[in-house]
Amino acid sequence: MDFGFSDVQVQVQTLARKILDDKVSPATLARYDEYQQERFDRDLWRTLLGAGLPGVAIAERHGGMGLGFTELGLFIEELGRSLAPVPVLTHCVAAMLPLQQFAPAALQERVLPAAARGDVLLTGAFWWGQPGVPDDPVDATLEAGGLRLRGCCEGVPFALQADKVLLAARHADGTAIVLLDTAAEGVGMSPMQVTHFEPHYRVELQDVLVPAADIVCHEGGEALLDWTRERCIAALCAQQLGAADYAMRMAASYTSEREQFGVPIATFQAVGHRMADCYIDVECLRLCAYQAISMLNEGGDATTEVQIAKIWAGDVGHRVSYACQHVHGGTGIDRDYPLWRYCLWLRYNEMTLGNSSAHSADLGSRLAAGQALFN
Amino acid sequence: MKIQFTEAQRALRDELRAYFSQMMTPELRAECERDMGEGGGPLWREALARMGRDGWIGLGWPEEYGGRSLSPLEQFVFVEEVMRAGYPFPFLTTESVGPTLAEHGNDWIREHIVPAILAGELLVSIGYSEPAAGTDLAALQTTAVRDGDDWIINGQKMWTSLAHFCDYTWLAVRTDPDAPKKHKGITMFLVPNSDPGWSCTPVHTLGGVRTNATFYDNIRVGDDHRVGEVNGGWKLITSQLNRERLSLINFGPISELFNRVVQWARETTLPGGAAVASQPWVQANFARCRTLIECMKLIVYKQSWAMTEGTLGMADASAAKVYGSEGFIEVYRYLGEVVGQAGLLRSDSAGADALAGKIERLYRTSSIITFGGGTNEIQRDIISAAGLWMPRASR
Ligand SMILES: Cc1cc2nc3c(=O)[nH]c(=O)nc-3n(C[C@H](O)[C@H](O)[C@H](O)COP(=O)(O)OP(=O)(O)OC[C@H]3O[C@@H](n4cnc5c(N)ncnc54)[C@H](O)[C@@H]3O)c2cc1C
Repeated sequence: MDFGFSDVQVQVQTLARKILDDKVSPATLARYDEYQQERFDRDLWRTLLGAGLPGVAIAERHGGMGLGFTELGLFIEELGRSLAPVPVLTHCVAAMLPLQQFAPAALQERVLPAAARGDVLLTGAFWWGQPGVPDDPVDATLEAGGLRLRGCCEGVPFALQADKVLLAARHADGTAIVLLDTAAEGVGMSPMQVTHFEPHYRVELQDVLVPAADIVCHEGGEALLDWTRERCIAALCAQQLGAADYAMRMAASYTSEREQFGVPIATFQAVGHRMADCYIDVECLRLCAYQAISMLNEGGDATTEVQIAKIWAGDVGHRVSYACQHVHGGTGIDRDYPLWRYCLWLRYNEMTLGNSSAHSADLGSRLAAGQALFN
Repeated sequence: MKIQFTEAQRALRDELRAYFSQMMTPELRAECERDMGEGGGPLWREALARMGRDGWIGLGWPEEYGGRSLSPLEQFVFVEEVMRAGYPFPFLTTESVGPTLAEHGNDWIREHIVPAILAGELLVSIGYSEPAAGTDLAALQTTAVRDGDDWIINGQKMWTSLAHFCDYTWLAVRTDPDAPKKHKGITMFLVPNSDPGWSCTPVHTLGGVRTNATFYDNIRVGDDHRVGEVNGGWKLITSQLNRERLSLINFGPISELFNRVVQWARETTLPGGAAVASQPWVQANFARCRTLIECMKLIVYKQSWAMTEGTLGMADASAAKVYGSEGFIEVYRYLGEVVGQAGLLRSDSAGADALAGKIERLYRTSSIITFGGGTNEIQRDIISAAGLWMPRASR
């Protein structure tokens, strides 16, 4: 049982934090508020690629750093702390990781090195699911040249910016996973304006042909879906941890400076204790998120641990967000002060891929079936 | 970072679990039940000494005291398993006062008292609180006055738990009534409960648990019974309390209780024939408890790990205390809802069920944990100050 970071893990954290401190600030983030610009800092993205961070969990033979999901999770925690406008969760977690795990060797060799360099931008259409609700993949028919798709995928982050989208398609014999070329004929995109300004799209597919070479698997795609979604959830938890911790520290500093009745408001026990509760909450999220990430890194079954981490990510995000706004008074929601952006992200991460109540209901039904007990 | 037991830790846990399931005979279990889960009976004493002889109590202690030199994490796994088995383990003596004595005690204490604790043969009660000194502990008035090479102790303590069957009291006394800061005039002593000047009267509490008022009437002790510096006791008190906070939050028994209630709800049917566990609200309660206890587990494992690394922070120890104490109370409530009216029947009542009766009592005994061991308000003060660097009001 080791809760510490290895030297390499500290290096990843330090490298990420240094780049993000340097390149992301309230002023740079303000450029994307209200969809003034597409929320994708390409200069920052190139710097991160140059440092090798998006390929941290990709094998060295594919041009990655050859480290694991834990290191990727620690990198994502830093992205949460800074709210960096880069497509790491989509490119790395929702696309590169499942390709590395499931795609045929030839497809891996064609795509992964280019993706690790950033020559190809990937995304995955796996962010629109709720626990206990079956997936609704697009429809497909088998053809001589590959699979022909029709239907639509909701809420695909960075779909317009991406070169390829990993998605599930259902045909007569089962569920396939394909790597769709966004430039293929019949692909349409309409922007969706999400609460936190990240570019999301509805991807419409009108008889789009995916060539055989871009098919990850013809059948049994459910395994990839489950595998990928668990990692997407854990990544959201890591991002939530970074954001919640940062918002909490912002509120702690603000209340230590702001005076009313001639004293810093932090000295009122009601304020101090609300922040102490945030501290406990964030610590709980940290431990559960790290546990889920560490178990996924080892590759064993982490269904329950991932689910519990997401329940905490939802509850903690909600409580910390409102507590931080509250102890700031009006400043907390003033758009000239950086807290409000954190609150939007805390909300997004809370609700995406299953909110706390939905996951709790699922966990409860699994317990009632005799699963997920303590051992 | 690898948040999973190692093979060796898992093997140790399995070995302990087997050991305790064998140790907890029906007779011992019945005696512990009778003593309201506090221990102190003859079979309980015998089992403690056996654990001592078998080298379990000092698992994580250095060999010089008779320990086995494993880490605090292994020590924690031991306490978790012994408590999970339903044995009221005297963790305050072994896990909080014991280590403080080993760290600050003189030769006599290190050579005689500490090894006897690890052998399961010596128990220590804690004498801090007084009628007028609770949360404001530094206001305590029991005194020790020098008399030649000895000290004469006079005063009264309140809530001195387990004192009626302990061998010594770890006693906080005032040695400098004029200290400008009142916590700088306090010294720690180890006072024999067998002294003729020592007496106690029982105090009965809501949960049925007995505690004591203890009286110190001209007790004479040698200077070798003093622990730490004269007027330097406060540091020892806070260090002991930090350790107490961790050992209070033991997730072994509560995870066991949770598993048993889930199992019960799966096997027990409602009048219509459906299982208790099939009801959505029951499942919601289970999910809440499961989510809450999972974090309790991680918090205590992290603390044990931090103790091994020597990085245990004040804010985190206090966070564990607040989270654990408030969490226990919530879990007892949610599980009590699941067992229903049966959870209102005392375990010796007609129609009582062992599991529900346990919950009935746990609900009554759990209110102490939010204010005992340092009240949660003070813990939250510590968290905002030490964890978030927030200034706090002067007291
Ligand atoms: C069953 C039992 C066993 C015990 N065992 C022992 C033992 O073995 N040894 C021992 O020494 N003591 C023991 N105690 C005593 C225990 O540590 C005290 O009860 C505790 O320290 C609180 O003190 P008090 O009861 O005097 O309450 P008070 O100090 O009077 O507190 C009452 C309320 O006021 C609040 N309060 C006080 N100060 C502040 C503040 N600054 N800010 C905000 N709120 C505040 C408290 O949080 C609490 O809610 C035991 C108590 C019980 C009931």
